[in-house]
Amino acid sequence: MATKRRLKTEHAQFKKTPPEGVTLLTDDPTSTRWIVQIAGAPNTVYAGETFQLQLSFSDKYPFSPPEVIFLDNPPQHPHVYKNGHICLSILYQEWSPALTASSVCVSILSMLSSVSKKEWPIDNDSYMARWRISRHGPQKTLWDFHDDTV
Amino acid sequence: MKVKVKRKWNVVAVWKWTAPDDSCGICRQAFDGCCPSCHEPGENCPIVFGKCKHCFHMHCILKWLGQPQDECPMCRQTWEFQ
Repeated sequence: MATKRRLKTEHAQFKKTPPEGVTLLTDDPTSTRWIVQIAGAPNTVYAGETFQLQLSFSDKYPFSPPEVIFLDNPPQHPHVYKNGHICLSILYQEWSPALTASSVCVSILSMLSSVSKKEWPIDNDSYMARWRISRHGPQKTLWDFHDDTV
Repeated sequence: MKVKVKRKWNVVAVWKWTAPDDSCGICRQAFDGCCPSCHEPGENCPIVFGKCKHCFHMHCILKWLGQPQDECPMCRQTWEFQ
């Protein structure tokens, strides 16, 4: 109930005042799985490209973070694995219930905007090899947040 | 001085929480409403302040604290009730 009410409020606000470059594609305010399109910011390496994020909310939201992954063709970025998993502290240990779906999408767009070169994570191959066997969700990964620059 | 009220007298009052924000940063519902676990706004669903000056519905911040976080959701300082 608490989750549904908060999602309904957030959905309305997200639709009414979307952040620049971020569009909520899901129209159903009762859905617990949202698809968000983000557009690479001008003058960055992702300018002109669009990506889709999937945000899944559990019934513990907002006390637990949404599971956020890139769908289909994820951006080539040192913190984004080829399966769409995102290494970003606020999606895991650093989550706060004061964050919102909209602010999370802005953080991801900002993460994309701060690199000057497209590169996959250095451990992408080993991460993907483990994931192909386990098919674990990103919240099951023990993330090591070592890079504060991006 | 004695005052006599001759006709029927209807008293109407309004109340409001005194808070720097309109809505709770956790549940995003208005402070003048109640948290999603409650049905009626009022003393049974109070708002509380931390030493950091951020405020939330008491029921909302209690759900967040100790699981195992002890930080203010807004500023990440250790939460202490004011």
